[in-house]
Amino acid sequence: MLRGAEIALQCLRAEGVDLAFGYPGGAIMPLYDALRDSGIRHVLTRHEQGAVFAAEGYARATGKVGVAIATSGPGATNLVTGIADAKMDSVPLVCLTGQVRSALIGTDAFQETDVFGMTLSLTKWNRLVRSIEEIPMAIAEAFHWARSGRPGPVVVDIATDALKAKMDFAGPVKFQPHPKPADVHGDSTFSETLIALLETAKRPVALVGAGAKLAGAVDDLRQLLDHLQVPTFATLHGLGAVPAETPYYLGLVGMHGTRAANLALDETDLLLVFGARLDDRVTGDPSRFAPHARIVHFEIDPAQLDRVRPCELAVIGDLSETIPSFYEEVRRVGLPDWSSWRAIACGPDRAEQDPRGLAAPAIRFMDELFRRLPENSVVVADVGQHQMWAAQRYRASSPRGFLTSGGLGAMGFALPAAIGVQLAKPQTTVLCISGDGGFQINIQELATVRRLGVPIKMVIIDNKYLGMVRQWQQLFYSRNYAETDMSDNPDFVEIARAYRIHGLRLDEEAMAETNFAATSDVLDAFLGSPEPELLTFECHPEANVFPMVPAGARLSEMVFEE
Amino acid sequence: MQAFHIHYRNTQGTLMRILNAASRRGIDMPYVQAIPNEHTHSVTLLLDVNPKQTGQLCRDWRAIVDVVNVRAGAVSTDVPSSSEWTTPHPPASVSLSGNAARSAMA
Repeated sequence: MLRGAEIALQCLRAEGVDLAFGYPGGAIMPLYDALRDSGIRHVLTRHEQGAVFAAEGYARATGKVGVAIATSGPGATNLVTGIADAKMDSVPLVCLTGQVRSALIGTDAFQETDVFGMTLSLTKWNRLVRSIEEIPMAIAEAFHWARSGRPGPVVVDIATDALKAKMDFAGPVKFQPHPKPADVHGDSTFSETLIALLETAKRPVALVGAGAKLAGAVDDLRQLLDHLQVPTFATLHGLGAVPAETPYYLGLVGMHGTRAANLALDETDLLLVFGARLDDRVTGDPSRFAPHARIVHFEIDPAQLDRVRPCELAVIGDLSETIPSFYEEVRRVGLPDWSSWRAIACGPDRAEQDPRGLAAPAIRFMDELFRRLPENSVVVADVGQHQMWAAQRYRASSPRGFLTSGGLGAMGFALPAAIGVQLAKPQTTVLCISGDGGFQINIQELATVRRLGVPIKMVIIDNKYLGMVRQWQQLFYSRNYAETDMSDNPDFVEIARAYRIHGLRLDEEAMAETNFAATSDVLDAFLGSPEPELLTFECHPEANVFPMVPAGARLSEMVFEE
Repeated sequence: MQAFHIHYRNTQGTLMRILNAASRRGIDMPYVQAIPNEHTHSVTLLLDVNPKQTGQLCRDWRAIVDVVNVRAGAVSTDVPSSSEWTTPHPPASVSLSGNAARSAMA
């Protein structure tokens, strides 16, 4: 006879779980009581949001399912932001929450919330488990849905009496999904249609999203793009799928994308989309998005199709199957000569200009950090101006080398996510970049960093504002800096010291040529330390991110300065 | 007005997910009827949607784990209008007397 909690943990082990992040409380206590002998390492964070972001970081870095555990009521509500984040960014995540006793469910009992109802619209699948007998299948099904198709979050909410009850347990079960007729079949003749479109295209381009990474199809994608040699750019989550030094690669596209990428997307007559949602940060004004283009959309999730406008050809399926299938066909045919289009799109007239204006010192600081990072490092960015500077400047050398909260844009993501990344990749340099606003949202996770001793390199770009909001206020709200001022920030170095973490501070003067030799030594020591380190860089309060496509504008209507 | 017929396995939350696909888009649901249908259940919705919304809704519904089939079509004549409904609203309690009901609400 095993308790429900022991059964749940055995089922987690059977799914390959050896690490979970969480925060205990009343209803989930039986699970914590059984953890000690489970073979699962548990990392105690200092807030449930820290736990779920750490689990996300682990999942984003590895492609495995991240696991977060919390109690009922406030424990579960604190998970919600992370669950929404995982949904938007297709992160495989299993959240286990304790629920009040089954007899009390629905009575507004102490620490009861309707976790099932609350997470219904944020999850791929969720389940309220009311009895011990349901536990094995619920966990098996949860992991199946978290991993399958377009990955995403699931929630298993388990009544505490189900965790305490005992039953004979024959072992973990396997979930077999019901066969489901596909609504759009991957047509085996799509290659012929696509080749015909390519043969008539004058200005083809490729847009790379996260889909190829999630499908494990990065090598296949690179092989195909090397064959096509069409101007290529990436969404925020597509960064790293194509090496930055690739001659036909134009970098980030969209609101803060490169001039070359946005112009090529605006001018193209054939847009090949590989695993991207085409959200508003990528498209600008949807009615004027890629106005001359026919769209071919490689996508595993049919629900993502035609959100902007109907595509000419939808290629539905796992990109690890559809891309090689297309490559096998297209390599046998002669393609038009697109060299003159490539010369325009990738030419020197559209090359990135050196950073200028008030942001130049901060960007140079980040360039110097990135230049020093070892191969295959992971940069975890929070949300805001520093995130966009990092996306513009970091040349990720690996597909999972740049991680951030993209779709949801959840400030406070980076620090706990970096913990998950560092635990997943203990030998890898993990650089966590936050703003002063975002860092304070989950600042309590410095205690987790210290407890674990993980050598995360934490950078705060401190402009004493909620910088991205302030930038919009400057550009679109007549400089009315309403409630974005953070000039009374704490001393982050002293805060770090209180957590027994070494901290130091640089300012813009440190980036001046006359001071740079000393700064260089500081940066080398910072990145080379075997301990967690915190480095604050104080940048100009009115530094802005450019280029910028104002909300509702066409991609070609980029703004380059105030 | 467009009619949608969705077959689904009646697992936890599947009907709620189906309805949520419409409600999250701010689409009113003037008519919803869910009934058992052989081994599955089916729900019929009448929605005032444009063609783009129709496509998005159908794809979202098909993506729900336990949705089996989705069909869209014209409104048929066997769908009752609200004026034909004769049951009181809200429904009267069948188990509590008036006093007990008031007491329970206090």
